[in-house]
Amino acid sequence: MTQTTLHANSGFGRWLGKLPLGYILRRALMMLVTLWAIITLTFIMMHAVPGGPFVSERMMAPEIEAALNAKFGLDAPLWQQYFNYLGGVLSFDLGPSFKYPGVSVNQMIADGLAVTAQTGLLAVLAVVAVGVPLGIIAGLNRNRWPDTAVMMLATVGVAVPSYVIATVMLYVFALRLGWVPTFGLDDWRGYILPVIALSGFWLSFVARLTRSSLLETLDQDYMTTARAKGLRPGQILIKHGLRNSLIPVVTVLGPVVANLLTGSFVIEQIFALPGIGRHFVLSITNRDYTAIMGITIFYAAFLIFMIFIVDMLYLWLDPRIKLEDSE
Amino acid sequence: MSHTLLNVTNLHTDFETSRGDVKAVRGVSLSVAAGEILGIVGESGSGKSVTCMSILRLLKRQGRIRAGVAEFEGRDLMKLSERELSDLRGNDIAVIFQDPMSSLNPTLTVGEQVMETIIRHRKTSRAAARARTIELFKLVRIPAAETRVDAYPHEFSGGMRQRAMIAIALACDPKLLIADEPTTALDVTIQRQILGLLKDIQARMGMAILLITHDLGVIAEVCDRVMVMYGGMVMEQASVHRLFEAPRHPYTHGLLASVPDLRAAHRARLQPIAGSPPDMLRPPPGCPFAPRCAHARSQCAAAVPPLFGPDDTALLKSGHTARCWLLHADAPKAEGINT
Amino acid sequence: MSNPDMKLTENPWALLELKADAAEVIASPARGYWGDVWARLRARKPAMVGLVFIVLLILAAVFGPMISPYSYFEQNLKLSNIQPIFNPYTVSTTDEDGTPETAHFFLNAGNFNLYEVDARGALIGLIRGGRKDMAMRRTTYQIAGQAVVVDYSQQPTRLFVDDVETRPGGWQWNKTYWFGTDQLGRDVLVRQLYGARISLLVAFVATIVNFFIGVLYGGISGYAGGRVDAVMMRIVEVIATIPLTLYVILMMVVLQSGLISVVLAIGTVFWVDMARIVRGQILTLKQSDYVDAARTMGARPGRIIVRHLLPNAVGPILVTLTMLIPSAIFIESFMSFIGLGVTPPLASWGTLTSNAVETMRAYPHQLLFPAAAISLTMFAFNFLGDGLRDALDPRLRK
Repeated sequence: MTQTTLHANSGFGRWLGKLPLGYILRRALMMLVTLWAIITLTFIMMHAVPGGPFVSERMMAPEIEAALNAKFGLDAPLWQQYFNYLGGVLSFDLGPSFKYPGVSVNQMIADGLAVTAQTGLLAVLAVVAVGVPLGIIAGLNRNRWPDTAVMMLATVGVAVPSYVIATVMLYVFALRLGWVPTFGLDDWRGYILPVIALSGFWLSFVARLTRSSLLETLDQDYMTTARAKGLRPGQILIKHGLRNSLIPVVTVLGPVVANLLTGSFVIEQIFALPGIGRHFVLSITNRDYTAIMGITIFYAAFLIFMIFIVDMLYLWLDPRIKLEDSE
Repeated sequence: MSHTLLNVTNLHTDFETSRGDVKAVRGVSLSVAAGEILGIVGESGSGKSVTCMSILRLLKRQGRIRAGVAEFEGRDLMKLSERELSDLRGNDIAVIFQDPMSSLNPTLTVGEQVMETIIRHRKTSRAAARARTIELFKLVRIPAAETRVDAYPHEFSGGMRQRAMIAIALACDPKLLIADEPTTALDVTIQRQILGLLKDIQARMGMAILLITHDLGVIAEVCDRVMVMYGGMVMEQASVHRLFEAPRHPYTHGLLASVPDLRAAHRARLQPIAGSPPDMLRPPPGCPFAPRCAHARSQCAAAVPPLFGPDDTALLKSGHTARCWLLHADAPKAEGINT
Repeated sequence: MSNPDMKLTENPWALLELKADAAEVIASPARGYWGDVWARLRARKPAMVGLVFIVLLILAAVFGPMISPYSYFEQNLKLSNIQPIFNPYTVSTTDEDGTPETAHFFLNAGNFNLYEVDARGALIGLIRGGRKDMAMRRTTYQIAGQAVVVDYSQQPTRLFVDDVETRPGGWQWNKTYWFGTDQLGRDVLVRQLYGARISLLVAFVATIVNFFIGVLYGGISGYAGGRVDAVMMRIVEVIATIPLTLYVILMMVVLQSGLISVVLAIGTVFWVDMARIVRGQILTLKQSDYVDAARTMGARPGRIIVRHLLPNAVGPILVTLTMLIPSAIFIESFMSFIGLGVTPPLASWGTLTSNAVETMRAYPHQLLFPAAAISLTMFAFNFLGDGLRDALDPRLRK
């Protein structure tokens, strides 16, 4: 009796005790199924390229092509290639690059990871640390000038494509004004433009979402209840308002991370940053099929993992989700 | 009679919309004595909820209190700062809302939502607040109170949620409890339980209750005094006994006629009032009920009738007032109203 | 209680005629659902500005290239990289006969060429015959009998007329190529309009394809319900987690670049939201009485979906469609930007932007036009979509 009370008294213990293991397991299973679907789909698509991977190249002697096919295991039946590849992915081996002899796809990813992760992380940080507060400021000042200003900025951010923002900023701030370097990440100023360009859309999106979600929450009956209880405005806003209005914001954070990554294809291209996105775009122009396949799967796996994390976060924020599971 | 707890005079509340101001409350005055249960009855849109929310200044964003005084124990609530008012809310004056589904925060445990009220006004420790919450849960007859404090609203049934709302309202022993259609959203059997609970608690704790409802049955069962509202105005006001025995306003007549009386020897036919409530964006210049009133005279459409009292006509006894031109000394006789 | 206002009107006690329904008539002026939506939409300025912009853009994309004297593929390398605005110099002499000779020309600071223009600003042609002095980094021309020297040994490039450094007199619009020309001497304006054609075509067709797939999928899933619905929604869940940009890129790699590939790739990707919305609408509407009524009367499922369910789901679908179009425009231009879009000489806004980035240092105007075009179009569709959503959902009104 005392033990249960003690347990129930601590918030975290209570949360742990109520954690729906079935739900988490099901989500984890879903995650694996999705990953498998993506690997399979990618594999099929890359092998559906008309004529095979080496055809687009200049004319090649049949014996050289045969040798190449043998080297990459392309002479085996397709189903065997598929299982070989699946086995490779499961042991975290994405195979060799078609175009760069001796370089593995794993190496290519490892090469670009630091750059992509740095800019990506900074961009995610900007989205959360700038987008959410901007949305809150706008929502709390509904129809007054801070709201108008934030919404105008956010509209620009949502409407103007990232590559346009990137090139225009590059022209103005790097070429014309010379405030920041045109390429590379040699000093901290090099990060400014890529991070702004990368986070611009999602920062604006999150600001808008936070605002509308906050406005919706502020209109809820339980907010009136909180006021009727005589709670302090700050307490009402933080405990009752923000927590509830951030739930939809948290749900988009998973996709945000993923889209920041795909957005990095073009941003890394424009700012000549040696990240994974640049490798990916290069692989596409080079028709480096194993690299395309490997990087796609890497991205997808990362994204799915992020969504899983966000789902777990959601579980903590919104207790209602447990009910759906127990039925 | 005990002293007056709340005294509202000439309250006007509008709602700003894109099409203009909806005049929801147009000059309502009321008073509640300590320990008294005052019922406010009316159709939806009659302004009864808005009146109560205006008293505590809990209107939603578009609501605007244009004029009025609301004295609670001698202090005008309209003039208090937001901070002073929040000291009263949940402490001296508590509210129970209509829809227990949406009035509780879905992401906090029910117990937490009771406790935060206690901690806010009583400055106690969390442990003490928790003990008090369990006590309150028992008071409002929530079974297994010790474990239910840690449950979330969605784990409660509708009736249980309304009990939790009542627990929140009672948390600091309020002097006045405003209950805004507390049973409307509930099943009939649950309605009876909740009403019984409210009556019981009122008898035990002795607070005054301002009960808003559209259900005359609820009024008859619970209230001491009743106020009938229509079109943002008080149409008639009397003791419950008096109002049911000798209603003086055609609208009250209509309301009473629309309630099936099972005890009556001859099963009178249910009579709905024809027509629909007035458009409060452009309220009619005269009596708001005139367009639907079978007794309406041209005077009724021309000017809003004043509140007639016992001084004006022998038809009204002490404490009984009604807003109808037919109570004018020169008015012709209308069957059932002023005969 | 005595009341001050007891004044009575004339003949106060005449019976009033009952007009119980009058209130209802006044309360809701007769206006259909779509009339209501249109009225609300019209009240929203940004949405209307967006709508007008889109209509004008479509008209320009369809008819503009027909009117233009230039084609999107004709190259004129002699007139490449011309600016839309230039600063002309005027040189004049009087020859032996006493007839005055005047020449207007401007300097293209990007390639150090001189171009002759007439007094109005219409382009006459590249001025040839300059003697290039590579060592001194200067070129000397004979124009209207005077020696004109372009000195590009230092930035900014200077121009000397008879050894006197000369500055241009004011600026002038390019009357021949309003938006200038690109690096292959093609008219930027007409390529811009063709770009609009491609971008809008891809967007609209892809959106329609998405619409049909989404409505079909969501409609079947929602209508069938039960196990079929559960499986179909699981599939949607899986698809929704796949990063769609990646999928479009893979499609483009498989299908090879080209207009049809772009439409196919984008058209088969974004139907997931649509399917979910249609399903949700159908699930809520399925419980409605009138669907039950139709079913009891023996209407077939397909008929129920088309005649009864979809018309009610039209609002949210319309909003999703309006929001899909800018997404499609964006994805197409994104693909084109990284070299996976339409093939040259066809151009979309994405390829135009991408090409302009290469020459951005010298000719920023080439970047300005496609960037502005796509941004404004995105604005227009976003504003229209926002306005439409608010107009269709009166609950969101303030």
